[in-house]
Amino acid sequence: MVNRNAEDDILLRVEGLKTYFFQRNAVLKAVDGVSFTVAQGEAVGLVGESGSGKTMTCLSLMRLVPQPGARIVEGEIWFKDENLLDITEHEMRAYRGHRMAIIMQDPQTSLNPVYSIGEQVAEPVRLHLKERGQQAMTRVLDALRAVRIPRPEQRLVQYPHQFSGGMRQRVVAAMGLTTQPELLIADEPTTSLDVTIQAQFLRLIRELQQESGTSVIWVTHDLGIVAQMCDRVNVMYAGRIVESGRVRQIYKEPQHPYTRALLDSVPLMGARRDKLYQIEGQPPDLRSIPQGCPFWPRCPEAMDKCKEQYPPRTSLGGQDFVHCWLTEEGR
Amino acid sequence: MANRLLEVEGLAKHFRGGGNWLTSGGDSIRAVDGVSFHVEEGETFALVGESGCGKTTVAKMILLLERPTRGTISFQGEDVSRFRGGGLREYKRLVQAVFQDPYSSLNPRMQVLDIIGEPLRVHQGLRGRTLRMRVGELLENVGLNPVTASFFPHQFSGGQRQRIAIARALALRPQLIVLDEPVSGLDVSIRAQILNLLVDLQRDLGLSYLLISHDLAIVEHMSHRVGVMYVGKMVELATRDEFYGNTLHPYSNALLASVPKPDPDVPMGTTIGGEVASPINPPSGCRFHTRCPIYLETSMCREVEPDWREILSDHLTACHKVEPAVV
Repeated sequence: MVNRNAEDDILLRVEGLKTYFFQRNAVLKAVDGVSFTVAQGEAVGLVGESGSGKTMTCLSLMRLVPQPGARIVEGEIWFKDENLLDITEHEMRAYRGHRMAIIMQDPQTSLNPVYSIGEQVAEPVRLHLKERGQQAMTRVLDALRAVRIPRPEQRLVQYPHQFSGGMRQRVVAAMGLTTQPELLIADEPTTSLDVTIQAQFLRLIRELQQESGTSVIWVTHDLGIVAQMCDRVNVMYAGRIVESGRVRQIYKEPQHPYTRALLDSVPLMGARRDKLYQIEGQPPDLRSIPQGCPFWPRCPEAMDKCKEQYPPRTSLGGQDFVHCWLTEEGR
Repeated sequence: MANRLLEVEGLAKHFRGGGNWLTSGGDSIRAVDGVSFHVEEGETFALVGESGCGKTTVAKMILLLERPTRGTISFQGEDVSRFRGGGLREYKRLVQAVFQDPYSSLNPRMQVLDIIGEPLRVHQGLRGRTLRMRVGELLENVGLNPVTASFFPHQFSGGQRQRIAIARALALRPQLIVLDEPVSGLDVSIRAQILNLLVDLQRDLGLSYLLISHDLAIVEHMSHRVGVMYVGKMVELATRDEFYGNTLHPYSNALLASVPKPDPDVPMGTTIGGEVASPINPPSGCRFHTRCPIYLETSMCREVEPDWREILSDHLTACHKVEPAVV
C-alpha cells in the first residue's frame, strides 16, 4: 500500500468520496465527490443544510452507510496510512468505536434502554481493549468522570431513563471516548439540548480535545457552534464541499455566494438587521440536482456558465479552496 | 402607550401527577406558577426559556387548550374565561397559532384548499368559488402559488408547509398569533424566509405576535419586548433593547452567555452548571438559586421567594441581588 499521507500530522484524508442511494428509478447522489483532510488535534466543521450530505459523509467514514440502499461507489478514506475502503469488514472493526468514534444526534436512541449505563460504556472497553473486571471498571469510571458525570460510582448501575437529556448525551460521549479515539465524529450532538446544557457540553468536548489531542469532525448547521469549536470549515451543498477554509477566513471573507448567504441569513445577537438575507427557493432535490453548479438556481450572481459546468476547484492558498465561477474567473 | 391586546395576570397551571401508577396522585407539577405579562397591539412579545420552563403551557392556556389553575387572561380588557357562545367564537377567531412542526400540524389527507378553507367555512360560511378565491389570496400572501390549493401536504417542503400553517392562521384575520417555535424545524436558509414573512405580515396587517422560542438570536431579531421564564416563573421582563443591553437577572445573563456566537473572535461566555430544576419539587426560595452564579449562600435566596419588582421603567425582574436603580 502506498503511503499517501506524506505529511505526518494528517490523520484523515478523504479523496473524491461518492456515496449514492440506489432507488428503483433514481440514484440519489448524497455524497458526490467530497475531499477534505483532518489534521491531528484539529477540529473540522462540516456545515450544510439537511440533504447536503454531511451526515452521509460521516457514516461513510465509519463505513456505516445504510444497507441496503446506499453504497460508497468511489473514493478513498485514508486514516493515517490505511485506506479504510480497502480493508475488510473485520479489519474495519478495529477502527470503529476504537480509533474513531461517532456521537450521534439523539441520545435517546443511541442508548439501549435495557442495559445499565455501566454495561454500555464498558462495551467498547471489552471489545476493543479486551479489558475485563476491575480494570474495565476503572476505565469506565474514568470516562464518566471525564465527561463530568457527578457520582459516577452510583450512576454506573442506573439505566438510561434515569438520566436527563444532557446527562445521556454525556454518557454517549463517554462511550465514544473510553477507547481514546484518534478521531471523534460529532454529528449534531447538541441539537436536542437546552442552551445552557449545550454550552456545558461544548465546553466539555473542547476540554477533552485539549487534554487528549483528539481530532474532531463537527457536523452541524449551527454557525455559532462552528465559530466556537472548529479550526476549519467545509461548507457542503448538494453532496459537495463548495468552500473550505480556516474558520476566521470563512467568517470574515466568505468566497462562495452560498457561504455568504448562509452567514447573512441567520439572525445574530448584537448585530441587528432590519431584514435577514433570504436565500430564495429550496435546497435541491438530490434526485435531480441541477446541471452545472447545483446552487445556481438560488444564486443571485449566477451566470450562464454556472448553468452548464460545475466550477473547478480554485485554491485560495494553503488548503483553502472554493468551487465558484466568480472566483475562478477573478470577479 | 399602545393598547394592551392581551393581558395575563398571575397565571398558574398545576398538573396532577409526578407519581407513578402505584402512587397515584403524587405531587403536583407546577408547570406555570404565577406569570404576568401583556401583549400590546402590533407588537411581538417573546417568551424565552429552556425546556420545562412552562412557556408552551402559557401558550396553551391562551389558546384555551389548557384551563388555568389560577390567574386570569384578558383579551381587549375582558376576562377570557367568561367568554361564552358568540364571544368565545370571536376570541377563537382573533387568536390563532402556528406550531413548531409543520409535518404534524397539517392533516396529510386534506388538500391545502381544505386546510386553509376549514376555518373560513366554519366561521364565515364561505363556500365554492368565494372560498377558493380567498384561499388563493391567502396563499399569495404567504408566497405560495394559488394553484397549489389542490395539493396535499406531502407535496410541500418543510418551509412551504410552515407557510401553509401561517396562511391558515391568517385566514380569519386574527389580531394575535401565537408562534410556538415557528422556525425550529426548518433549515437555516428557509428560516430567514419565514422570519421575514412573519415580519412583513405583522407590518402589513398590524398583527400582534406572542413568540415562544428558545433561540435568543431569533428573539432579538423579531421581538419588541422579552420575558424570560425559569421553572414556571417569570424572572425578567423588559423591552428588547433593555433586555439585550442591560440584562439584570443572572439566569438571563447565563442564557445569553450560553449562545455560541457566530464569530470566531468572540469567545464563549461563562455559562452555568447544573440542570433546569424540576417543576415537581421546585427549589425553595428563588428557584434559580441551585444554579445561580451570584448566589452567596445567603439564606434569603434559599428561603425567600424574590418579589417581582420593577427595577427600571418597564424592566422587571425577580432577584434579591438586583437593587432598584436610584432614579
